[in-house]
Amino acid sequence: MKTEMVPIQNRRTPSARHRWREWLAGYFLILPNLLGFLIFMLAPIVATILISFTNWDLITVPKWVGFLNYQALFQDPIFWLSLKKTLLFTVVNVPIQSFLALLVAVLLNRKLRALNLLRTLFIMPWICMPVAIGLSWTWIYNFEFGYLNHLLLSLGLGRVGWLTSQDLALFSILAVNVWEYLGWHIILLLAALQIVPPELHEAALVDGASNWTRFWKITVPVISPIFFYDLVVNMINTLQIFDLPITMTNGGPGNAARVFNLYLYQKGFSFLQMGQACTMGVIQFGLIVIATFIVFRYLGSRVNYDVS
Amino acid sequence: MRSSSPKHWLKQSLLYLSICVILFAYLFPLFWQFSTSLKESGEVFAGYNLIPKKVVWDSYATAWSTFNIRQYLFNTVVVAAIVTFGTLLSCAMAGYAFARLRFPGRDFIFYLYLGTMMVPGAVTLIPAYYVILKLNLANSYFALIIPFIFGNAFGTFLMRQYYLTIPKDLAESATIDGAGYLRTWWSIMLPLSKPTLATLGVMTLVAQWNSFIWPLVVTQNPALKVLAVGLSDFRLYRNIQWNALMAAVMIAIVPMLVILALAQKLFIKGIQFSGVNR
Repeated sequence: MKTEMVPIQNRRTPSARHRWREWLAGYFLILPNLLGFLIFMLAPIVATILISFTNWDLITVPKWVGFLNYQALFQDPIFWLSLKKTLLFTVVNVPIQSFLALLVAVLLNRKLRALNLLRTLFIMPWICMPVAIGLSWTWIYNFEFGYLNHLLLSLGLGRVGWLTSQDLALFSILAVNVWEYLGWHIILLLAALQIVPPELHEAALVDGASNWTRFWKITVPVISPIFFYDLVVNMINTLQIFDLPITMTNGGPGNAARVFNLYLYQKGFSFLQMGQACTMGVIQFGLIVIATFIVFRYLGSRVNYDVS
Repeated sequence: MRSSSPKHWLKQSLLYLSICVILFAYLFPLFWQFSTSLKESGEVFAGYNLIPKKVVWDSYATAWSTFNIRQYLFNTVVVAAIVTFGTLLSCAMAGYAFARLRFPGRDFIFYLYLGTMMVPGAVTLIPAYYVILKLNLANSYFALIIPFIFGNAFGTFLMRQYYLTIPKDLAESATIDGAGYLRTWWSIMLPLSKPTLATLGVMTLVAQWNSFIWPLVVTQNPALKVLAVGLSDFRLYRNIQWNALMAAVMIAIVPMLVILALAQKLFIKGIQFSGVNR
């Protein structure tokens, strides 16, 4: 009996020590990352929720005010305006971008010699700094000397105040946004199209299915998971639009392009109302959760996860 | 048989032609800004030809020194390079631990990471700024660098997914050979993960180069502004010298375009990864 116990114990002791060493190595490896995560991610998330219930100017001690910030925002017409602008921007931007990207992706999805080059050219605008792109487009949109109005004039039409008209400015910025990120969606959808098994199309061709039928019955179901993912991520990102509106019109003219994040930034860093700015952050997060939930509820059920 | 028929040839030519037309229209804004940057001030407001009558590079000199683009470019390069390097290191370390090492709380911490990936940046902005103020780091390179180097949830996730695909036996045989966990990671796993590191590296570099709202908040000192912040100041100006501004815009985007040209496959892989590995 005794002689049998010894080897077992011997095996156990090093393995326990081994486990300790594994723990230590694990904690050591995640430590820098985890510290950054706690200090600049997790703690700020909790802090923002707390600050949203206070009156705080960043300098003096925060004063607890309960739901007063939420009340104040709900009575602030510019808050509602910025919310409306952002929702409008998202609701128009996301489908247009997805539709155009799908169109180009389908056009590119064949045996092309220069496919890599084409993909690279199409993602060029995406890689460019949004602030720089915004400035470049303010030049194209310029009322007196811009290229776009020059085109209109040479067609015998009048000038348009692309960025100076209250009704138009948001949509002019939206067009730039569609343009800048289109390439990203093209690459993603092209990758999705390329996983469609050719045998499926061949079999359907034998059965005499038209191009249109094959697109709807074969291509769409296969790419639907990636298409849906792209839609959701695009929606979440567009709800946070900031760089283009601030550089192109600084939110104007008037409040025409004062999107949610721009108003949040001003609340915090122009008016030093940190409480209300944090409240807007909390509301934005809630908005993203609700919007994602709605999209999953109404579109998610149509996504086909079987084929791929 | 089909591919040699004239009809097929015509169809192919039409396809290429339409793609070229679409691409030209799509990239026209970039051509136009380049063209403007090469024009003399007189021609900027007079001509609408894409190819300047006389090509001059004066605007670049104006942007470089008068607009202080030199300083902004320097700051951007320093910050983006350090952040990219730091992100790779911290994400590779944590990604390996999350994928391959067992320790208490591992899964809980990892789910925390995943849970925050949907949280918008605006939520963390103000408290993170306050942390920087309290640490006395506002208006320093540290303010631009530190919040991004550590705690990149997406990068950690990406690295973890990659390490999960490496066969376990490989690490185990090394461990049995007497190499410690850290040695195993450093000398076996890290070299194996080069392709994923490269993808994460270029994606981080671009994101950092172009990032705007955080640098806008933490740097007021002109000597510390990055390109995005320096350029955005033009939104407040009137009577803009468009050719010089377009030159500044070119200086801000050309480095990333060069990197795209050099590493196009990595970018395409990065985009595809973000979609295909849901």
